[in-house]
Amino acid sequence: MTVLFWVVSVFGYMPMQDTVSLEQVEVYAPPLDRFAQGQKLVNFDSKVLEAYAARSLGDLLQEQSPVFVRQYGAGMLASPSFRGTSAGHTAIFWNGLPVNSPSLGQSDLSILPVEAIDQAQLHFGSSGALFGNEAIGGSVHLGSKTEFAKGWQGKLSQTFGSFGLFNSALSGGFSSKKISTKSRFYRQFAQNDFSYRDISKPGTPETKAQNAAVEQLGFVQDFAWNVSSKSQFKAAFWWNKADRQIQPVMGSSTTDQQSDENVRAVLDYFRFGTTSVWNLKTGFVRDNQFFNESQNQTRQFFLASDWDFAKGKSWQFKAGVRSTFIKGDLSTYAATDQRFEFYQSARWQTAENLTVSLNLRQFAYLDNFIPFLPGIGGDWKFWEGEKQELLLKASLGKGFKAPTLNDRFWNPGGNPDLLPEESVNGEIGLNWLKKGAFSWDQSLTYYRMKVDNWIIWLPRGSIWSPENIRKVQNQGIEYQGNTKWESGKLNWEMGLSYTFSQALDLTSEPANPRQLPYTPQHQANGNLSAGIGGVAVNLSSFYVGQRAIGTGNARILDSYQIWNAGLRFSDLKWVKTRFPISFHVLNLLDRDYQVLYLRAMPGRSYQLNLTIHL
Amino acid sequence: MKFTLKNQFGALALIFLLFSCNESGSERPLGAYDTGILIMNEGAFGANDGEVFHFDPVTGTTKVNVFEAENNRPFAGLLEDMVLEEDRLYLVANTGKVEIVNPGDFKSRGAVIGDLNQPRSLATSRGKLFISDYGPYDASFKTPDSYVAVVSGLDGGTVKKKIKVSNKPEDLFTSGKYVFVAGSEGGKIEIIDADTEVVSKTLEVPGKPVQFFEQRGDLWVYSYDSEKIYFQSFHRDNLTKKEFRELPLSKATGRITLGEDDRIYILTSTGWPDYNDGIAVVSIFDTTLIPSLKTGSGFYGIGFDKERQEIYVSNSKGFQGNGEVTIYNKSGVEVKKMEVGRGPSGFVFR
Repeated sequence: MTVLFWVVSVFGYMPMQDTVSLEQVEVYAPPLDRFAQGQKLVNFDSKVLEAYAARSLGDLLQEQSPVFVRQYGAGMLASPSFRGTSAGHTAIFWNGLPVNSPSLGQSDLSILPVEAIDQAQLHFGSSGALFGNEAIGGSVHLGSKTEFAKGWQGKLSQTFGSFGLFNSALSGGFSSKKISTKSRFYRQFAQNDFSYRDISKPGTPETKAQNAAVEQLGFVQDFAWNVSSKSQFKAAFWWNKADRQIQPVMGSSTTDQQSDENVRAVLDYFRFGTTSVWNLKTGFVRDNQFFNESQNQTRQFFLASDWDFAKGKSWQFKAGVRSTFIKGDLSTYAATDQRFEFYQSARWQTAENLTVSLNLRQFAYLDNFIPFLPGIGGDWKFWEGEKQELLLKASLGKGFKAPTLNDRFWNPGGNPDLLPEESVNGEIGLNWLKKGAFSWDQSLTYYRMKVDNWIIWLPRGSIWSPENIRKVQNQGIEYQGNTKWESGKLNWEMGLSYTFSQALDLTSEPANPRQLPYTPQHQANGNLSAGIGGVAVNLSSFYVGQRAIGTGNARILDSYQIWNAGLRFSDLKWVKTRFPISFHVLNLLDRDYQVLYLRAMPGRSYQLNLTIHL
Repeated sequence: MKFTLKNQFGALALIFLLFSCNESGSERPLGAYDTGILIMNEGAFGANDGEVFHFDPVTGTTKVNVFEAENNRPFAGLLEDMVLEEDRLYLVANTGKVEIVNPGDFKSRGAVIGDLNQPRSLATSRGKLFISDYGPYDASFKTPDSYVAVVSGLDGGTVKKKIKVSNKPEDLFTSGKYVFVAGSEGGKIEIIDADTEVVSKTLEVPGKPVQFFEQRGDLWVYSYDSEKIYFQSFHRDNLTKKEFRELPLSKATGRITLGEDDRIYILTSTGWPDYNDGIAVVSIFDTTLIPSLKTGSGFYGIGFDKERQEIYVSNSKGFQGNGEVTIYNKSGVEVKKMEVGRGPSGFVFR
C-alpha cells in the first residue's frame, strides 16, 4: 500500500511546469535502458531490421541473438526461449503495450513480421519491476519510429524467393514540424512446398512439404502530433492477419488450418516539462484465432500513466500506474480479468561513474496485492582510457507470470487455484568498449536464475490440467562481441555471440536434475560483412546445440549449424530514385535439420529483394 | 493453439487397447525380440515419438527405440497398438499408419501409409488386413465417419476399401472368416464377413466395448461404463450372444490384461480432478472382485507376464518425458521399477 500512496502523492502535486521546452523534433519514446542498469540489452540497428524486413521476428531472434526459438516449421509457430525459460516467460511489447495473448500467455514470433516495425530491442533476465507480467526470462520491445520534418517519403519493396515466397510491402508518409504520419501495407506469402527427406516413411523418400502455405496481410498506421512545444500525441495502429496451413509433424498427415487476426492500437499523450515528462497511455489489443473451426478471442484494454522527472543532476525518478482489463471469449469458456500495477523507479548517478537504479512494482490481480516485485542494478564504468572503457554491470531482480486465462478457466481442466510463476534473477556483466579505427563492443554476462511454481499441463485421466509443479535452476554465460575495422577501401564488420545455458529441471528427478526439454546448452552465432561503396557481402551462421525432446533420459536431437549469405547493392540510383537490391541465400549448405523433433525445415533457399525509395 | 491441441489430445486419449491376440507359431530360429517383453510407448501428441522398447527379464536389460535401431529411421507416430499375427508384428499408429515388421528382428516388411486417419487396431483374416479407424474428426471433434479399412496382403499396401462401422471402433478379433469389431461409442459389436467385406451382423452390448479376449475357449468382449463393467461372450458359429456378466466396478478404464487363474486385471481411474488410479482384479468364473489391489496416479497401461507370474504397470509420468514401468509379483509386491519411453501404454509378452 505504501507504493500506492507514493504514486497518489506524486500525482497529487504533479507540477505541469510552464517552462517552455524546445519544439520536439523527434517523436518521444522513453529509452528502455533508462532504469535498466546492470541488465543485459540487445538493440537491433535499422540495417539489421532492413535485412530481415521480409522475414519474421523469429528468424531475427534465432539468427542474431542469444535467444533460442522453438520453430515448428517454416512460417509455423515460433516461440522464444530466453535463458532456458519458456515462451510464456517472455513479455512482448509493441510501442510500450504488452501484446502477449492473455489466454495463451505468449506470442507467436512467426506472425510478428519485421516489416511492421522499425525498432527491436531485447532485454534479458527477470525484470518484473520494470516490465511487469511475464518478464521472467526476458522481454522483447518492438516499436514504430516516426520523425518530424522529413517531408514526403515512400517505399515499395518486393521480395521473390524459393518455395513460392512472394512478399510485397508499400509504405508512405509525410511529416512536417507539427505532424508526422506513416502508413504501410504488407502481404507475405509462401507456398512452403520445400523438399525434405521424410524419415517417417519406408525408404525415407524425398517429399514435398504439404499443407504448409502461409499468408500474412497487414496494415500499420503511425501518427504523431506536436500539439505545442510542451505536448505531443502519438498513435499507432496495427492490423495483422495470418492464414496458415499447419505443417504436419512427420508421420502425420493432418490438414489443420489456423487463422490469426490481431488488432493493436495505442495512443500516447506526452506533456513535457523542463525536467519531466508526463505520459498518459491507452491501448487496445484484440486477438482472434481460429484453429480449424474453433474460435478463441480475447480483448485487452490498457490505461496507464507515468511521470518521469529529474531532481538535480544526479537523480531521476519515474512513477506510474497501469490498469489492464481483459475479456476472453474462448471456445470452451468466457472470462474477464483485471489487473493493476503500481510502479516506481529511481536512478542515482554518482560522480564516480557509477549509476544505480532501484525499481519497484506492486501488482494486483484477483483482488490481491501480489506480488511485489523489486529490482536493483548498477553500472560502474571503472576504467576509462582515451579510446577504451570498461563497464561492470550487476543486477538482481524478480519476475513473475500470472496464470493465463486458459490456465485458470479452460473447460475442462482449468485450475483457478494456480499461483503465479515466480523468478529471481541475478547477473553480472562486463562490457568492453573500444573506439577508433579498429573498434569493438564486447560483453560477457553471467546470470543465475531460479523459476518456481512453473505451470505445466498434465493429464488427469483424459483431461489435462495445469499445475504449479516445476522448479528450475538456470545459469549461464553470454558472450557478445561486435567489431568494426577498415582495410583499404573495405569496411569490415564482425559479430560473434556464444551462449551457454543450463536450465535444470529440479522436479522430475531432484537427485539427478537434467536440462529442460528443447533447451540447448550451447548456442552461437556469427556474421561477417564487408562493404565497399554501396556494395556489401555478408556471411552469417548460427549454431544450436543438442537438446532433449522430453524430461528424463529422453531422445536427444542433433545439433545443427546453418549458414546464410547475402549480397546487397544499396546505392543503386535512377535519377533521384534510390533502389537497393539484395540477394540472400538461406541455409547455404542445404543442411537437413530439425529444430523440433520430426518438424521438417527447408533446405537451401534464395530470396531476391528489390526496394524503391520514392 | 497449444491448448486447443491439448483438448484434442484429451479426446484422443479416451480409450486405449492393451494387448493383442497372439497366434504365433513359427519354424524359424529365434530372433533377438522373439523372447522377452515388448514395451509399447505411445509417444506424446504432436511429437510422434512413439517407439518400442525391449526388456529381457532374464538379464534385466532394456533395449530402447527398437524400431529405429533396426530400421535406421524413427517410428514417427503415436503407437496405439501392437498386434502379433501371421508371424508379423503390426505397429498401429493412430497418427495414420501401420508399420509391419518381423517379430524376431524388427526389420520392416512393409507399411500402410496414406488413406488412414486414426487407426486403432488391426486383425488379419483371409490374407487381408482389417484396420479399425476412428476416421476424421468433424468440426465438433466427433467421428461420424469411422470405418474398418481393408488392405489386400499381409505386408501392407494401399487401402482397397473402407467399411463403415459405428463410431470409434477399437479392438478387432478374427474368428474364421469373421472379424469382430468393438464399436466403443455406440455399444455395438459389428461382425464383418472377411470374404464379402461387409458388416454381416450387429449385436448390442452395454457400456463401451473395447477389448476382445479368449478365456476357457470362448470369445469375450469387455465393456465398461462409469459404474459397472460387463463381459459378453459369443457363439462363434451362429454369431449370437452367449453368456453375460455384469460386475459392480466403478471408474474402470479400457485397459485390461488377463492374469493367472482366469483373473482379469483392470486399470481404474477417477479421472479429473481427483485423479486417483488403481488396479482392480475380477474374474468371470468366480466371485473374485478386488476393487483396488494397488492405487497411485499416472497408471497408463497394464500387462501380465504369465511365465513369471508378474504384473507390469506403466506410468505415463504426465507425458513430460520418459515414462516408467513397475513390475509387481502377483501378490502385489514391487519387484522392479524401470525407465521406459514416453507414454508407455501396453506390453507384448513373447
